[in-house]
Amino acid sequence: MPRTAPKPSATNLQLVSRATYLKEILLKNLFLVCACVAVAGVLLIFGFVGLRGWPAFAEVGPWAFLTGTEWSPTDGQYGILPLIWGTVLVMLGALVIGTPLAVGTAIFLSEIASPRVRAIVRPAVELLAGIPSVIYGFFGLIILRPIVANLTDGLGFGAVTAWFILAIMIVPTIATLSEDALQSIPPGIREASYAMGATTWQTIYKVIVPAAKIGIIDAIILGMGRAIGETMAVLMVVGNAPVFPESIAAPIATLTTQIVMDMPYAAGMHRTALFGMAIVLFVASMGLVALVRLISRLQTSIESGR
Amino acid sequence: MVCVLLAALLAITGCSGKREVDSELVVTGSTTILPIAEIAGEMYHEIHLDRKILVSGLGSSAGIENVATGTSDIGTSSRDLKPAEEDLGLYDTPIAYDAIVVIVNPTNPVDELTTEQVRAIFAGEIENWSELGGEDRDIGLVNRDEASGTREAFHKIVMGDVPFDRTAAVLPGTGQVRSVVENARGAVGYISLGFVNEDVKVVKVDGVVPTAETVVSGEYPLQRLLHFFTVGPPEGLAADYIEFVLSDQVQQTVVRDAGFTPISGEVE
Amino acid sequence: MSKTITNAIALTLLWIAAIVTVLVLGTVILYVFVNGIGQLSLEFIFTWPEGVAAEGGIWPTIVSTMYVTALAMVIVTPIAILAAVYLAEYAIQGRLVSTIRFAADSLASVPSIVMGLFGLALFVEAAGIGFSMLSAALALSFLMLPIVMRTTEEAIRSVPKYIRWGSYGLGATKWQVVSRSVLPASMPRIITGIILATGRAVGETAVVIYTMGQAINLPVSPLDSGRPMTVHLYLLAMEGINLPAAYGTALLLMILILAFNLGARYFLRRNRKV
Repeated sequence: MPRTAPKPSATNLQLVSRATYLKEILLKNLFLVCACVAVAGVLLIFGFVGLRGWPAFAEVGPWAFLTGTEWSPTDGQYGILPLIWGTVLVMLGALVIGTPLAVGTAIFLSEIASPRVRAIVRPAVELLAGIPSVIYGFFGLIILRPIVANLTDGLGFGAVTAWFILAIMIVPTIATLSEDALQSIPPGIREASYAMGATTWQTIYKVIVPAAKIGIIDAIILGMGRAIGETMAVLMVVGNAPVFPESIAAPIATLTTQIVMDMPYAAGMHRTALFGMAIVLFVASMGLVALVRLISRLQTSIESGR
Repeated sequence: MVCVLLAALLAITGCSGKREVDSELVVTGSTTILPIAEIAGEMYHEIHLDRKILVSGLGSSAGIENVATGTSDIGTSSRDLKPAEEDLGLYDTPIAYDAIVVIVNPTNPVDELTTEQVRAIFAGEIENWSELGGEDRDIGLVNRDEASGTREAFHKIVMGDVPFDRTAAVLPGTGQVRSVVENARGAVGYISLGFVNEDVKVVKVDGVVPTAETVVSGEYPLQRLLHFFTVGPPEGLAADYIEFVLSDQVQQTVVRDAGFTPISGEVE
Repeated sequence: MSKTITNAIALTLLWIAAIVTVLVLGTVILYVFVNGIGQLSLEFIFTWPEGVAAEGGIWPTIVSTMYVTALAMVIVTPIAILAAVYLAEYAIQGRLVSTIRFAADSLASVPSIVMGLFGLALFVEAAGIGFSMLSAALALSFLMLPIVMRTTEEAIRSVPKYIRWGSYGLGATKWQVVSRSVLPASMPRIITGIILATGRAVGETAVVIYTMGQAINLPVSPLDSGRPMTVHLYLLAMEGINLPAAYGTALLLMILILAFNLGARYFLRRNRKV
């Protein structure tokens, strides 16, 4: 990037007035402050939510809090393991269902779709991302739950229903990021593969996907983050029983849903524990972001090391 | 574009003028009673534009304490006075009955249960309908959220000291409970009498069918009163408002809409 | 199996994946549309909810949604654009920039309920603003910040270098180049990014419940509380007593968001001739 003017020094001609120079420095620092708002935000979240939630770790004890198997605030039990398990279970199922669908759609968009078809499918995926979670939850509650109830002869609340709703919700995230990764591969690679007589599928499977592997993995990890953090849609279909479920069609609860259910009336240590759960969620999602950055950095260092 | 929209909105909202209010009544207490008190308060204000009823829902206990200390004029409560509160000199005007009915899926052959059986079901001790003379199917337990007045009432009247089964589904709304029980064959839940419709089947408790009459006569066991407490018999604005709440205008509309059973006027 | 057959099977599966995705979108939209269209009337849009079962209209919720979204947009736009300007034009790659990007990514993936509790702890309680449009808008701004930052930065970076060089060649200072050449050139994409971020804010529920409260109210000052459409939909759906109103709310919400989404897309296409 070309610089405006050589740094003013005694040997340079003054190309700009002192006032302008000061103004430029001021502006630059102003912009820097704005950029740091993001950092401030993260710190503030840690600060305020962490402060509120800290006593849960301090008094209940981090081990007891995180691995305790009884969540029963009325009895003074604050073990969140059933909730952590609920979060993990719901996320895993959603990933299993959503990832093939999302990556498949991404590959389709990038490698197979004609421009006309692409003009329909890509906006459709982006629109899916824009639909608010309450509407998905509403859909799950009214349409999906009765179906699951009939199939399992139960209530229809539970991990299974959440899996399907959550899968739909993470597909746009994973699909758009995967597609970006696929698109960023130079066309020459594809042409070389076809020139050697490979079919489209062979090209995709042996050449392109491995090349975009990192980007796709990043996309999946961010999809995980989305699944962990989703609240409203899951809340409406999961049954909200803070226990280890007997089956995948039995009511369970996740960290996010439990916070929403309990918040209206929680007080004292109960409320603190909820903030503690929020910190766990925040750390988990930040951890996933860090993981993605780490993987990207590893890849760049591997490539430059070649 | 957004600025124009904002300006237009502000202009419209500015048009709703507010009249001068001469007297105010402060009503606090139960969140269960909140809808009745609030809407009756608004209806009252429409009739007497110079009087305003300020209603908030902080809980029955807060309501009782507020009225006893003079912070509020009326304290609403969905529970009876505790022994410690009996000496506060509070005067009770019940304004409605809250009857809780146990509902099951229309295909469920079970017709009646005893209170002990209901308790056992909701504590998770009975897990299959066959133990109650029904089909061989797991019981799908549907509970309400802990902020719910109905749950609180059910807990007090039926469960007593026995805790709810924690693997039960927890749903935050009457309509939810109703629609789940309606189409899940093994489901069982509880709602206020006023919200029962033909989509669900009502179970007799201790041999009594829950109707407005059996509630008023006291035969149907699962019920409680909704109270308006005042310090001594109500006077002035409080008396007028309470009388309004007890009138047909409120009892037959607002009270019923909220799912409760009117305490005065036509019962059926 | 011959490679032709594998190819055919694989391609079919990929087609199916794409079709399923589009079908799901279509189903959800259709479902809301079909059930909600009967509810839409001038009365529904412009009157207040009445009674215990929220009969009537949803006017105050519509106003609340638009008010808080507009407020959040006003708050976040200057900060996000200037932040992006810094990252795109002034910043030198280093630990600070890396930290800023990490922070922005983290903010982007914060679970919305954590953001809601954060808003509750900081704006509603600690700062004493209480349940209000302002608290909610501030919380939403943090959510929108990384999105607008990222799209603005991309927009700025996509401005061809020769535009800058021309300005520098004429002796402009850095800020003059940015403010008079680069930013105007990238404005369409910046605005698109803002519109998309706003669309996201409109659909937020968990953040708003804990910062705006739930009382139905027509907000006038930023300190007023209210109930936005998303929360109204959630409460109606959960109560389950007035499903038609729930559908109507869902449909209006969806129309609003689709309008934002498609509007942004259309706006970008029209202004593509940069």
